Amino acid sequence: MKVKVKRWHTVAIWQWDMEDSTDLCGICHGPFDSCCPDCRIPGDNCPLLWGKCTHCFHLHCINKWIETNDSEGTCPMDRQIFEAAT
Amino acid sequence: MIKIWTMKKENAGVDKKKQKVTAGQIRVQKDLSELDLPKTMKMTFPVPDDLLNFELEISPDEGFYAGGTFKFSFSVNGNYPHDAPSVKCLQKIYHPNIQADGKICLNILREDWKPVLTLNSVMVGLQYLLLEPNADDPLNKEAAEDLRTNRRNFETNVAKSIRGGSVNGIQYDNVMTH
Repeated sequence: MKVKVKRWHTVAIWQWDMEDSTDLCGICHGPFDSCCPDCRIPGDNCPLLWGKCTHCFHLHCINKWIETNDSEGTCPMDRQIFEAAT
Repeated sequence: MIKIWTMKKENAGVDKKKQKVTAGQIRVQKDLSELDLPKTMKMTFPVPDDLLNFELEISPDEGFYAGGTFKFSFSVNGNYPHDAPSVKCLQKIYHPNIQADGKICLNILREDWKPVLTLNSVMVGLQYLLLEPNADDPLNKEAAEDLRTNRRNFETNVAKSIRGGSVNGIQYDNVMTH
């Protein structure tokens, strides 16, 4: 018997490559797989940023905090100077 | 036909309003949904639609201030959680870390605020301030000196003040409820 595929419908899901991408960003309390509150579409335009301290946030969330005077450039979790992990 | 068009327009208006929700509001909603208040605390929303401005009543069941009910106003701005909520005490009370005009000295409301903290953190902080007044970081210097030098005398003065009495010639609000 010959089978002819006339058409097919593909579905894909994505998630960030990390231990538990359903975890929440400590700043906005939204899931990492979702975007920061200022963005509308999750994905490469709203990426994550890890610090050397191993804490992770939405890039836009941690940037907004680091830019405030009160932050003094510290990680909001451990109050050490926040340096991006390379 | 005409009716359908006007309805569509009205609906579009509603959608636009909904989209105006700020990042701060979203975060406040999350904080509020995760709140599990102990029986010593009660929240009220003077304007029901406004989640950014509300009041909290704390009725400590132990410590110097047990028996009283203390009202605080919370005001959260659109930049929350990057800005701390601003919190004031609505009554005039005799407390080393609370000024007569309601200004509160609590580290996480000022220099130690960070955006991973929540409304719950602030509420716990306020409750703690009522249980353990801190003489080292005073706004009311007389009260702090009183607490530092003679804990028993401080206790007597607090008991007097929360019943509407005067301490050092200043009258305080009667806040006794239980």
